[in-house]
Amino acid sequence: MNEQQINALVELAETIADNKFIMGEQLVELGVSGPNLEASLASISMAQGDLGHARLLYRWSFEVQGKRAGKVDVKEQTGKAFNQIVNASNWVELLAGLYVNNVAINLVMEELMKNKGEELNAQFAKMSNELTEHVMYAKNWCLQLLEDQGSIPRRTRVDLEKAYHHAGEWIRQVEGSQPLIEAGVVSESSKLSSAFASAMNEVLGERYVSHV
Amino acid sequence: MSYSSEGNDYFLFTRIKRGDDLVQVGSFRAGSDELAKVYAQRIYDEEDWVEMHLVKNSDLIPVRVPEGLFEKEGVK
Repeated sequence: MNEQQINALVELAETIADNKFIMGEQLVELGVSGPNLEASLASISMAQGDLGHARLLYRWSFEVQGKRAGKVDVKEQTGKAFNQIVNASNWVELLAGLYVNNVAINLVMEELMKNKGEELNAQFAKMSNELTEHVMYAKNWCLQLLEDQGSIPRRTRVDLEKAYHHAGEWIRQVEGSQPLIEAGVVSESSKLSSAFASAMNEVLGERYVSHV
Repeated sequence: MSYSSEGNDYFLFTRIKRGDDLVQVGSFRAGSDELAKVYAQRIYDEEDWVEMHLVKNSDLIPVRVPEGLFEKEGVK
């Protein structure tokens, strides 16, 4: 890989890792005061998973750069996490961000595994399984919030769209990144954006009002 | 997807190793079967279960049920 391709891959790894790191932190901060005990316990367990995924991805980004990864001690993100999840301050904002970001990350990871699976399979196989679970958790909670009463459905919709705005921009960048395509990380016919929009419509359906 | 805003009660049955008995290890409430599966995996992760099953409370077939201890005429 040339330098440009390495930089693009490092940026990709760090963006996913930063979001995982922030989601892990937010799942502890906000998840602990979830609407019921089951939701809170599951969110703490998933936080551990997300922080583990972040560590794995930071280590991978070190390896891509040819640095000695060793034991990765993560103190803070590198600044690439999406604003919506960084600024989330309640359960609704947390779940909207979790759903959208995990769907986006899942799509990119699937693409990565499809194209670079032989090199990465062992280290990312467990993460892929857990990602599916995180998507399922967030999706079901978002559906529940969208059927709730008072202002909650509207707030959920607004936050889903806000999160979609940030993650959608990233997905489009990844899909169109020439260095990533040349490095064989993303295929030219990946259709990441349309798959992402479909996943959003699964939750928002006709309620989806303002596309990015 | 079967989804209920009030949620359903689920009972979790697990087997630790092949050949062990399938035993009930807990119960919880969830809004859908999918969410119940996630709760089972995430909340009851203290063992590397070889098998996990969920049963919805409403799917139990009552054979014998206890009578209410304080049930009186006109009082429920």
